[in-house]
Amino acid sequence: MTLQEEVENLIVRVAMGDRVAFARLYDRTSAKLFGVCLRVLDDRAEAEEVLQEVFVTVWNKADSYRINGYSPMTWLITVTRNRAVDRRRALRRPPEPIETADLLPDSTPGPEATAMAQSESRRINECFDELPRARAHLVRRAYLKGDSYADLAEATGINLNTLRTWLRRSLIALRECLSR
Amino acid sequence: MSAHNSKGPQGPDGDDPRVTAAEFAMGLLSDAEARAVEARMAEDRALFDEVVAWQEHLADLMLDEVEEVTPSPQLRKRIEARLFRSDAPPVWKQVLPYGLGGAAAALVLWLAVSSGLVTPDEGAIEADLVAELTPTPEGGGLVINAAVDTELGAVQVVRLAGDAPENRVFELWLIAGEAAPVSLGVLDDAADRAVIPLPQDVMAELPGAVLAVSDEPPGGSPTGAPTGSVLAAGPLTPS
Repeated sequence: MTLQEEVENLIVRVAMGDRVAFARLYDRTSAKLFGVCLRVLDDRAEAEEVLQEVFVTVWNKADSYRINGYSPMTWLITVTRNRAVDRRRALRRPPEPIETADLLPDSTPGPEATAMAQSESRRINECFDELPRARAHLVRRAYLKGDSYADLAEATGINLNTLRTWLRRSLIALRECLSR
Repeated sequence: MSAHNSKGPQGPDGDDPRVTAAEFAMGLLSDAEARAVEARMAEDRALFDEVVAWQEHLADLMLDEVEEVTPSPQLRKRIEARLFRSDAPPVWKQVLPYGLGGAAAALVLWLAVSSGLVTPDEGAIEADLVAELTPTPEGGGLVINAAVDTELGAVQVVRLAGDAPENRVFELWLIAGEAAPVSLGVLDDAADRAVIPLPQDVMAELPGAVLAVSDEPPGGSPTGAPTGSVLAAGPLTPS
């Protein structure tokens, strides 16, 4: 059984109120989901609060998972990422600074792309590699840290409208790559 | 920011459904815009599929990006306590971990009580069993000392710290062995001490039994078993 199949199985059992399945689902997924919380929040205490909310949501909403169309890990990651981003915004954390180096045009792959090339690369990472480095960095920040357009404009000093245009173009380029 | 006027006045591409779906998936829209997209997704299967496709790809990005980090070992118990506290696990399983550790501290506190540092009702109780009920993680600092006079058939409880949450009351329980908890009564929140009579049939079970306090709706548990959280607990030991 793959992880996806196992997690799917467990979610279905959790939807029926199976506490043993819930404990097992926690054991199988909590370390990954805690990593997601930490990636967004950089704060263990806040990350644990969010993870707690996530598993309460999983218990309460497991029965609605089947109709939302997501694969099981995507559902868990999306719920976790969105909760963590909500928390980050509620805390009004200022956006992290963006290094100038990340915004310079560069023909060689960035450190992130290099690391990905060594691991098992997924389609989305290959497509990020096709974007100009600065734009790839901004899109990644928006998803992985939950930065808004305004946050990214503040962190880079780029005009908001320009930044939004860049990001949208990047999203279209990514989507075209992903559907090839 | 109103990126969703059909002409996309906030810049080009704002009305491209691929962009809308990605912005929705990434949380880049305002609350009002996000609600509008949700409403459209219910009608527009293509937009719905586009959002799902983005979420799948972005979750892949997150999966590759993050390391696994083990959260603190108590977290699962905290979650389960929050979800399952009203009916299970049985109350005596919840209190067992707290039962034994408090015994030594109970003795010290009881010495303080019996030597007059904390004055009990004089002559009211001649204790042969005592318990210090120490707070559980949900206990909010509730500390109660209990002293049983088996000859009199009563327990005196002294609340040293902690108040009942608004519109809740403290209820005292006796848990002997594997038997279900027996209610000894509701504690008056206005008084910090009380003497409560004990049912005759529990007297033989008292040594080693656990006293516990749960929070309950006004008037006490409607079911006869604890329905709220266990807030404090401790074993009865010879004085």
